[in-house]
Amino acid sequence: MTRYVLILSFLVWGLATSQSVLAHHSEVAEYDPEKPVKVTGTISKVEWQNPHVWFYVDVKDEQGKVTTWGFSTAPPGALLRRGVTKDALKIGAVVNVQGSRARDGSSNASGRSVTFADGRNVLMAGEDAR
Amino acid sequence: MNSKWMVSACLAAGVMLAATTALHSQDGPRTPDGKPDFSGIYTAPSTVNAKGPRGNLIFNADKMAPVKPGAESLLYEPRTGDARHDEPRAVCMPSGFPSGMLYILPIQIVQNSKYIVIIPELQRAARIIPLDGRPHREGIEPTYYGDSVGRWEGDTLVIDTINFKRWILDDYHYTDRTKSRWHSDALHTTEHLRREGNKLQYRITIDDPKIFTRPFSQDFELTLRPDWDKLGLLEYVCEENNRCSGGNCKADPQ
Repeated sequence: MTRYVLILSFLVWGLATSQSVLAHHSEVAEYDPEKPVKVTGTISKVEWQNPHVWFYVDVKDEQGKVTTWGFSTAPPGALLRRGVTKDALKIGAVVNVQGSRARDGSSNASGRSVTFADGRNVLMAGEDAR
Repeated sequence: MNSKWMVSACLAAGVMLAATTALHSQDGPRTPDGKPDFSGIYTAPSTVNAKGPRGNLIFNADKMAPVKPGAESLLYEPRTGDARHDEPRAVCMPSGFPSGMLYILPIQIVQNSKYIVIIPELQRAARIIPLDGRPHREGIEPTYYGDSVGRWEGDTLVIDTINFKRWILDDYHYTDRTKSRWHSDALHTTEHLRREGNKLQYRITIDDPKIFTRPFSQDFELTLRPDWDKLGLLEYVCEENNRCSGGNCKADPQ
């Protein structure tokens, strides 16, 4: 885990304060901004569908146990207008993801920022996120 | 009345007329019938006098009219745990108007001399608004988006909407986990749309006499994005993969 964090030097907090920018549901009801999540792992699955793109990241802890995290993000249309296509989330890519954890305590979160090993950051929501 | 005074009065009237004309006319493209051309894709509105999380429609409570005695329970509904009630959009029920239009996704306006069509990407709930002077339809059951008719007042498009089903008013519940904010079936909205360059100035007046003591207005600004024309609006089928269908978002357990 620590190794991955060292590899991925770009950690972006772009959306830390904009909780409901991307949701067709109340994020404040679903996700707890007081419980930020930062994980690093491998993309194992992508659901490029409405109303929200979901992607899944396999995260290995120091004992080698793998936990799959599910991240919800913007609708496909909002991502496309930001220049983010389905190809940006490649299965097998190592990513660092930041978000807010689900209130139900499950391994799912609202994904706010995805940083690839080369430092590219996608899924940020700036003005064009709209 | 002496002639000097008459000249001054005429000059003053002329200045006022010119100022009024400037106020009500706009630069920019026009349709073949001479009306301002609103066609295009616009960003979600930026709030001018509202507050709340960026991009979602949450009326500024400070600018809302006072609530009638006893009407608080009509305006605020406690959260029940049933998403169909607490936030219908989360279970793919209609967002309704105005929250479905003033959302974080873009809208597209298509216009001709007889109709103006406002299409939010969210749920693709197109509002087809006649401009031919017809009255509101009668004998129609109340709806989520109401019944709209439009008319031009100079270069300002005025849209009058009535016959709403009681529904969630805005996205207030995005900021408060305990309740949501609703309008009554007496809601009557008046929208004023005016183009200024690449901006659409948008004012909505809420008149809900079962809840508020008087009408109130809130202002928004939408930005035209010609660079989005090529891509266009995208499909939005909420039921496709709604992982929040129970009001509790669930990842695929795989």
